Amino acid sequence: MAQLPQLDMQKMQMVQELEIEMMSDMYNRMTQACHKKCIPPKYKDAELGKGESVCLDRCIAKYLDIHERIGKKLTQMSMQDEDFVKRMQGGEQPKS
Amino acid sequence: MNPPMSSDDGDQMRSFKDFLASYNKLSELCFNDCIFDFTTRSVKPTEDQCSLNCMEKYMKMNQRISQRFQEYQMIANEGAIAAAQKLSGSVPR
Repeated sequence: MAQLPQLDMQKMQMVQELEIEMMSDMYNRMTQACHKKCIPPKYKDAELGKGESVCLDRCIAKYLDIHERIGKKLTQMSMQDEDFVKRMQGGEQPKS
Repeated sequence: MNPPMSSDDGDQMRSFKDFLASYNKLSELCFNDCIFDFTTRSVKPTEDQCSLNCMEKYMKMNQRISQRFQEYQMIANEGAIAAAQKLSGSVPR
């Protein structure tokens, strides 16, 4: 944190805003997905049924779980990729 | 002009935008799930009831989802804080 120069404050803010936007996008997608999977399109009753409620709870827990898992794997893979690219560039300098 | 005002305005605009977006989405969803009869121009009572139920149920579902999401975030935050404390606690020693 202390190492970051003053200029990066703006960048940090941009990253934060991007993160918030990403979160809300994820939230909307999750809502859509869990609605589709848990609420049958028969609207005899305006109340959430017990089965529907339980389904929603599980759906959300699972969605967030998967979100986290994929994020971890993705960062891991992109880090490997970066390493690979760096090594390639280190080995063959004339190529740009 | 002053920062709190402008951020408040931004928040208001954001929530208004969210409201409009959910309005459109709800209309589309409930229309698709409830309206099947195109032999008459008027909305039948069953269709009307179905769309209203659809809307109400969706709102309740949204409430539940946001509650669960908040719980999840709180737990995640606690974990992050605990990890940070562990780190900062172990570094000086």
